Amino acid sequence: MPTRPLVTSYEQDLRLFEDRWARAGLVLWTLVALAWPFVVTDRWVTTANLALTAVVGAVGLMILTGFAGQISLGHAAFLALGAYTSAILGEQFELPFWLAMPCAGAVAAAVGLAVGPFALRLRGLYLAIVTLGLLFLTNHVLHSLPELTHGVSGIPVRMYSGGTDAAGEALRFSAPWRLGSLELGFDEKLYFLFLALAAGAAWLGKNVARSNSGRAMMAVRDQDLAASVLGVHPARSKVLAFGVSSFLAGVAGSMFAYQQQYITIEPPFDLNLSVQYIAMIVLGGVGTVFGAVAGALLFVCLTPLMETVGGWIPFVADLSTHQRSTLMFAVVVCVLLAVEPLGLLGVWLRVKRTFAAWPFRY
Amino acid sequence: MTGARLELRGIELSFAGVRALRGVDLVVAAGSLQAVIGPNGAGKTSLFNCISGLYRPQRGAMRLDDRDLSRLPPHRAAGLGIARMFQNIVLFEQLSVLENMLLGRHHLFESSWWQDVLWTRAARRAEVRHRERVEEVIDFLHLERYRRTPAGILPYGVQKRVELGRALCMEPRLLLLDEPTAGLNQEETEDMARYILDVREELGVTVVLIEHDLGFVMDLADRVAVLDFGEAIAVGTPAEVAADPAVVEAYTGMGAGDG
Repeated sequence: MPTRPLVTSYEQDLRLFEDRWARAGLVLWTLVALAWPFVVTDRWVTTANLALTAVVGAVGLMILTGFAGQISLGHAAFLALGAYTSAILGEQFELPFWLAMPCAGAVAAAVGLAVGPFALRLRGLYLAIVTLGLLFLTNHVLHSLPELTHGVSGIPVRMYSGGTDAAGEALRFSAPWRLGSLELGFDEKLYFLFLALAAGAAWLGKNVARSNSGRAMMAVRDQDLAASVLGVHPARSKVLAFGVSSFLAGVAGSMFAYQQQYITIEPPFDLNLSVQYIAMIVLGGVGTVFGAVAGALLFVCLTPLMETVGGWIPFVADLSTHQRSTLMFAVVVCVLLAVEPLGLLGVWLRVKRTFAAWPFRY
Repeated sequence: MTGARLELRGIELSFAGVRALRGVDLVVAAGSLQAVIGPNGAGKTSLFNCISGLYRPQRGAMRLDDRDLSRLPPHRAAGLGIARMFQNIVLFEQLSVLENMLLGRHHLFESSWWQDVLWTRAARRAEVRHRERVEEVIDFLHLERYRRTPAGILPYGVQKRVELGRALCMEPRLLLLDEPTAGLNQEETEDMARYILDVREELGVTVVLIEHDLGFVMDLADRVAVLDFGEAIAVGTPAEVAADPAVVEAYTGMGAGDG
């Protein structure tokens, strides 16, 4: 088995899955993902839905923070905008989800593009504070429009599939599908929709990373003066990063709203959520799409995992499930980052290197 | 690709009372190799920063062929074909050599942002086409074995070469080299001299060179300008400048008559 594929053209060099081993891995993961809702319990289907939502949001934040180097504490604001856009469009206009979701992304992206120019003059912590201000501002606006958002009491999120049934009622996405003997409930249907969206987001992120626009973002992140001398327009790159990032955050917010079916403003769309997204991309490994996906999956799955596993560990078993997951989560994050500062990406690179060199040690 | 003529007239630049440049005049003929020398703090790098758009001089005119440069932001200056190597290496350390050099071609990419994000055929084609040009530069500078290496972990001498390569990828008409041999050993300095001569010979690019190694300057340059306290005190061929009493005084602190 060759350790590296033989590259014979530049087109081949640009492929995401460069050799048959990578493609075999892709097929394997696809099969696992497709079989998932049929082999696990309902709780893990719900967890997977939340994880796939987090993947879309984390890829968005990775483009902004990981690629373009703009630290944002306002990610929750874009998620909130996406969530409320789809909720309001569903309630007021009975808009089907496949129209409401792009609208949610577009609304969030519009706000992102408006905030982007602030990043031209501010960097690092200062930008973090401004984006935090955006989060407070967004929540305040949502609270002060009760005729649309129902204020603190929250809003039901209706998910329409488009079209009407025999009685003239708009079709709901929650109606189960029957394919022969197979029945797909609401959660399973959501799962397949979210799987496609998460895969799309990862593909989009990867495209940014490997293309001219993404390289320009990374150049601005590493050395913005040198980037401008090379012909990169730093303002354009930052604004583009804000636009794409907030679009994905808006879509993720919309996914979250459909999954929850009833949303309020705070929680969940508070500073805590923004910090969680930063934790995801750091945990996964900043600067790569792999990091965003792996970090989001691990972050969301850790809590239910620890609630289950924690019962078998002495002392930890005496704690409540919530305490258990918090404690174990803290331990896992601290140990992982102390041992492997690159996060899951670093772990993955090590594993890959070991297998590529096998049976030698290096 | 041919070199452009650079014309600087009465460039004045000051930072809150410090007058960095006091009316510098300099004309660099198309395709020639102009050296700029002078003691530390004479304003050499400030002059480069004005040309590449990082600083905006308060007075004076800058022209590249017929284009006025004085109000151009850096990325527009780059679009006109002004490429630059920095005094203290400024590479994108986390990016590979290949990505660094592809960034040199950023302004030449035809694909727009949405084509990049959706990875359309136009984006893929642009990527391959520019990769081909980058490979030519990699070949020219013998950087093949470092293609995939992050630029930050390369040895100093190789980083200098990558920076030259990145500048060449921009298809420059004017190449600004700020101390290309600073920190290089004898062998690397000779390599760098060879590359600079080859660039001129094969590409016909106009080169402006800041350098402290006077032997290097005297061997390479067609013309030399000497800056001191923000003024061009002498301009001429290397031999003329070396014999100029004002230059001797600036460098040694002794007037021609002091012996």
